[in-house]
Amino acid sequence: MIAAIDLQVGVDAVSFGALFAVMALGLALLFGVMGLMNFAYGELIMVGGYTMYYTRDFGALPMVVITIAVVVLVAVLMELFAFRPVRHAAPLTLLITSFAVSFGLQQAAFMTVARGRQKGVEPYPWLTDQHHIAGLRLSNLDVLTLLVAGGLLVGMTMLLKRTTIGIQLRASTEDYQMAQLVGIRGNRVISFAFAITGLLAAAVCILFVLRTGSLSAQMGVTPLLIAFVGGAIGGLGSLTGAALGGFTLGVVVNTIQSSLPVDLSGYTLMFAFLFVIVVLVIAPNGLLDLTRRVWAAATTRLGVLDRRAA
Amino acid sequence: MTSALARGRRYVRVAWTPIALSVLILLTWAIVENAGSVTLEEDVMRLFLWMMLVLAWQLFSGNSGVMSFGHIAFMAAGAYFSALLTMSPILKETTFPDMPRFLASWIHPAELSLVEAMLAAGALAAVLAAIFGIAVARLAGVAAAIATLAILVIMNTFIVQTPAVTGGSDVLVGVPRETTPGFAALALVVVIFAVYAFKQSRHGLRLRASRENQEAAQSVAVNVRLERYIAFVIAGLICGVAGALYAHYFTGFAPPDFYFELTFIVVAMLVVGGMQSVAGAVLGTYFLTIVYLAARRGEVDGVFGVEPPSGTANLLVAVALLLALLLRPRGITGGREVPWPTALRRRGPVAAAAAGTVPEEVKEAIAASPSRPDAATPTSGKPL
Repeated sequence: MIAAIDLQVGVDAVSFGALFAVMALGLALLFGVMGLMNFAYGELIMVGGYTMYYTRDFGALPMVVITIAVVVLVAVLMELFAFRPVRHAAPLTLLITSFAVSFGLQQAAFMTVARGRQKGVEPYPWLTDQHHIAGLRLSNLDVLTLLVAGGLLVGMTMLLKRTTIGIQLRASTEDYQMAQLVGIRGNRVISFAFAITGLLAAAVCILFVLRTGSLSAQMGVTPLLIAFVGGAIGGLGSLTGAALGGFTLGVVVNTIQSSLPVDLSGYTLMFAFLFVIVVLVIAPNGLLDLTRRVWAAATTRLGVLDRRAA
Repeated sequence: MTSALARGRRYVRVAWTPIALSVLILLTWAIVENAGSVTLEEDVMRLFLWMMLVLAWQLFSGNSGVMSFGHIAFMAAGAYFSALLTMSPILKETTFPDMPRFLASWIHPAELSLVEAMLAAGALAAVLAAIFGIAVARLAGVAAAIATLAILVIMNTFIVQTPAVTGGSDVLVGVPRETTPGFAALALVVVIFAVYAFKQSRHGLRLRASRENQEAAQSVAVNVRLERYIAFVIAGLICGVAGALYAHYFTGFAPPDFYFELTFIVVAMLVVGGMQSVAGAVLGTYFLTIVYLAARRGEVDGVFGVEPPSGTANLLVAVALLLALLLRPRGITGGREVPWPTALRRRGPVAAAAAGTVPEEVKEAIAASPSRPDAATPTSGKPL
C-alpha cells in the first residue's frame, strides 16, 4: 500500500517535472543565444492561452495549429520591435527591456482580452481520462506531457546539432561578430531563435492551460518563474541542463508537497526555494555542470588508478 | 584665509554629488510642504521610499555588478517587524491571539517610537541579510539573481503562511501613522550620503574593482566574497529601514505589496538612471516616478475630456521604460555622478594647480582626492 502511494507520487512528480522541463527549455534557448533572460516569455504563454480561448470551438488540431502560429508571430514581432534595437546592450539592459515588454503585454491584455469575467479553457474530456496500470493513475494528459517534453528535447537537440540554421545559431552564440564575418545573417538567425522560443512557449501554453484551465493577464508569471529557477539550477547555458533543472524542480516541489505534514504543506515553496539556494551554492553553473565535473574527476581518478595498477 | 576657503571648497567638491542630490530632495520636500495637497504628499512619499530602495540596490548591485531580486524581502521584514513593535498592545492582542508565547511575551506589550522601531527593523533586516548573504556572496550572474529571487519567494511564503505572527495574506491594519515627509526626506538625505560614502570607501572601491574584472581584483588581494557580503548586508539594512518608514506612512499593507512588482519597479528605476552611480539611482527614480504618477493622474482624471481605459498608465510606463532603454542603454546618467559646475571649475583648485598658483601640498591633496572616482572606469556614455 505504502509502496503504491510512493509510486503514485513518483508518477505525478515525473509528469510535473516534464512540464517544467519544457518551460525551462524555451527560456534557456534565448539565454544561450543572446544572453537574454526573457521575462516576456511568460506573456507568450499568456497570448497562447487567450488564443486557445478564442479558437477552442474549432476542434483540437486547428486550435493547436492557430495557437502555435499566433505565439510564434508574437515572438518574432517582439524581437523585431523591442530587442533588435538593444541587442548589443548589457545583459541587464536586455533583461529590463524584456521586463518592459512583459509588463506592456500584460497591460495590453488587461485592457482587452482579460477584461470582464474570468475566462477559461475547458480541457477535452478524453485528456483527463485516467488509466489504471498496476494500481497507478495515469491520465492521457500525463502521457501527452511526457511525450511532448521528450519530443521537444530531442527535436531541439537535433535542430541545433544537425541543421544548417542550428549550426549558424550556435556559431552566433559563440561569437556573434565572427559569425557575421563568415557570412551568417545575424538578424535572420536571431529571428529564428525567437520563433523557436515561440514554438516552445506555445507547447508549454497548451499543456499548462489544459492542466489548469483558467486564464488571466498574469498567467504567464508562474511558468516564467518555474522556467527561470529550473533553468538556473540545471544550467541555463545548455538546453539539456535547463531541461534537467526544470525536471528536477518539478520532482522536488511535488515530492516536498506530498511528504510535508499537513500543517506545514503551505510552506512547500519555502522549502523548495531553500533547496534552490543550496543547489546554487553547490553548483553555481548548474547541476549538469556539476555532474560533468564529478564525472570528470571520477574518471581521472580511475585513470590514475589504472595506470598505477599497470 | 585663502587656504581655509580652498579647504572648504575641497570638502564641498569631495561631497558634491550627495550635496547636490540632497538639495534636490529637500527642494522636493519644500514643494510638498507648501502645496499642502494630500495626494501630492502621498506621491512624494512614494517617490522617497522608492528612492531609498533604489539607493540600497545601487549600493549592492551597482557597485558589485551582481543583480539582486531579493532585497524587497528585507524591506518586508522591516515593515512587519516595525509595525508589530509600534501597534497598540490591545490591537495586537486581538489581531494576533495565536502568536507563540516566546514572541508574544515581548511583542504584545511593545510600544516603541518610530525611530526605535526603525532601528529595530534595520537590525532585523541586517541579520536576515547576514544569514542569506552567506550563500549569495558566493555567487554571481544568473545564479545570484535566482538565489536572491529565492529569498523573496521564501519571505513571501513565510509571511502568507504564518498568520499567527504576520496576519497572513490579509491586509495588516492599525499601524500608527508616524512618518512625515520631512522625516522621510531627512532619512533619505542620510542614506544618500551613506551610499555615496560607501561607494568612495575602500570597500566600495574594492567592490567596483571586482565588478570591472573579478580575476584582476582577486589578484591584488581583494576578497570579493567578503566585500559583496558587506554590501549585501548594508543594502539589507537600508531596505529594512525603508520598510519601517513605509509601514508607518501607508499604515496598512499586505504581502503582495512586497513582491515582484515592487522589485521590478526598483530595478527598472536603477537601470534607467544608470546603475553605476548614486546620481543615476536618484534621477532614475525621479524619471520613472514622474512618468508613472503623471500617467496615472491622466488615467483617473482623463486627458482633454477623454477617459482612457484603465491600464493605460501602466502601458505608458512600459513604453517610457522601453524608449529610455533604447535611447540610453547605459542609463540616463551613463554611470556618471553629478558634475562639478563649470562656473566653479574655471576658478577651481584643479585649474589653479594647472596655472601653478597653488601650494605643493594642495596639489598632492587634489591628486589624492577621490572626487573624480569614475576617471578610471571605462564609460562609453555621454556626460550628463
